[in-house]
Amino acid sequence: MSDAILSVRGLSVRFGTLAAVNDISFEAERGGITSIIGPNGAGKSSLFNLVSGALRPDAGRVIFDGRDVTGRRPDRLLAAGMARSFQITNLFFELSVRENLRLAAQFVEPGSRLGALLRPVGASRAARARVDELTARFALRERLDELAGYLSHGEQRRLEIAVALAARPRLLLLDEPTQGMSHTDTQDTAALIKSLAGELSILLIEHDVDLVMNLSDHVIVMHQGAKLAEGSPQAVRGDPAVQAAYFGEGAHAAAH
Amino acid sequence: MPDDPAVANHDRVSRRRGPGAMRLLTWLFFACALVFAAIAGLLGDVFFFRLATESLIYGGLALAVDILLGRTGLLPLGHALFFGFGAYVAALVLKYWAASFWLAIGVVLASSLVAGCIGGVIAIRARGVYFALISFGLAEVVSKIVFNTRSLGASDGIIGIPVLRVNFALFSIDTARAPELFLLVLAFLGVLFAAVAWLMNTPLGRLLSAIKANEHRVPFLGFDPWRLKLAAFTVSAVVAALSGALYPVLRGFVSPELLFFQVSVNAVINVIVGGTGTLIGPLYGSAILTALRSVIGSFTAHHLLVIGLVFMASVVFFPRGLIGYAAPALQRRLDDWANRRSRR
Repeated sequence: MSDAILSVRGLSVRFGTLAAVNDISFEAERGGITSIIGPNGAGKSSLFNLVSGALRPDAGRVIFDGRDVTGRRPDRLLAAGMARSFQITNLFFELSVRENLRLAAQFVEPGSRLGALLRPVGASRAARARVDELTARFALRERLDELAGYLSHGEQRRLEIAVALAARPRLLLLDEPTQGMSHTDTQDTAALIKSLAGELSILLIEHDVDLVMNLSDHVIVMHQGAKLAEGSPQAVRGDPAVQAAYFGEGAHAAAH
Repeated sequence: MPDDPAVANHDRVSRRRGPGAMRLLTWLFFACALVFAAIAGLLGDVFFFRLATESLIYGGLALAVDILLGRTGLLPLGHALFFGFGAYVAALVLKYWAASFWLAIGVVLASSLVAGCIGGVIAIRARGVYFALISFGLAEVVSKIVFNTRSLGASDGIIGIPVLRVNFALFSIDTARAPELFLLVLAFLGVLFAAVAWLMNTPLGRLLSAIKANEHRVPFLGFDPWRLKLAAFTVSAVVAALSGALYPVLRGFVSPELLFFQVSVNAVINVIVGGTGTLIGPLYGSAILTALRSVIGSFTAHHLLVIGLVFMASVVFFPRGLIGYAAPALQRRLDDWANRRSRR
């Protein structure tokens, strides 16, 4: 078995009578980009919520870096090294870009947690350095003092990823990072995600099939809550069951 | 070379170098209080000294409310609970244990830490309007208990709190003298304010703002919102109780009215009129509204009506409150001034 940072075994959750996630198992390779694709309503976001601690599973296990973290709260998971971004931008809109990042980077402060929390903000050197690093990388330096709510959609999406990245997670869960982005922005973001791989492991949900096929080392296809197929991008693209279920509707678009 | 990016950059930096308007308005408040003390002291006044002292004490309660309402996004409708708690504990210590100001403050500090923690565990289970209702309910229950407890003086409260000599290393203060008591309360509130302002400028304080802005994202930054809210609630309760502890020192008595809804609501009004989340705004709000209540109260018994109208006008036309508008306006002027100087 390969070196897996994340191992999901038989994960299930029901909402009433709907099996949103039905007995899903997969592994995400350390340092790689693993993607989950599937049509709307396939259960991708629910699966993400289960892995990231936003939802408790009815059955199954989530093993992160060799430790069972099933049902752990998000703050505990972040402490363990797992962070996530959101499909619907989930920032602190009333706070500045700097403050959004500084809060998220607070975790990189050395020393005791409480001690770091009770120093004046200006003394948080490690957090400040992390903010500088992230604003350079995500092209947000010019916007540092702007309120997050006043950023353009593309900028907000970038900040969304930067906030998730700020605490130096070892596994980053990205929920449709290019959602609503223009073509150019999408290309930039793809390059950025590619540049992150290796530094850390990435689990990605995407609608944009071409993007996924270009970026991913490993692809999992979900359909109606269950896993339909998995493998390399090429293998998945050629899978007849996937063609029927997923590419069926947009086969022409995917064919270009 | 106006197009030189280095110059443009320098310009932007210098714009931020203007002195902070919020800091100036904070100093202005305490400076005004000292000017008032000097004038009233020269005139040998007692009534206005005591009124101003009372407004400072209620200002402390408003400050406590602002930690929750303005910084954490929780509306406490029963914070009179902790104000009254501090007042009663201080009264009991002063009357039955020892007439020592510092002992009373120490006991109130320790006991309100515990009481705030317990109250917090109960109240912050709920969000939004339910938090407000639980906070309200807790205060109602406790005020009714105090109202009906004979050993606490029931509806009469506790009277006959002794006059105190408050010892500092180099001098002492006689609480029977209105000017001295005013300065003591002003200094006490100044320390309390500085402590709260410092705390709000730590990452912990900033995380409270994050809870207010978007509680759902906070766990994904690695922090447990419940614990942060409990910390905010406890700190707020301690600030309210320490303010309340000054009340029997000023009045010489405590009564169950201190725990009533009216006190809680007045504190919230002081915060909103003064400027929610600005910390110094609630002190301005308390000063202005206490003065207003007293002035209007001397003309008509319907002063509550006027206060209510002022509050409604404030919410409708000035939702950010006095300091919420004054601080940014002043900041713009200061920045313009700083820019003009740096360009010269």
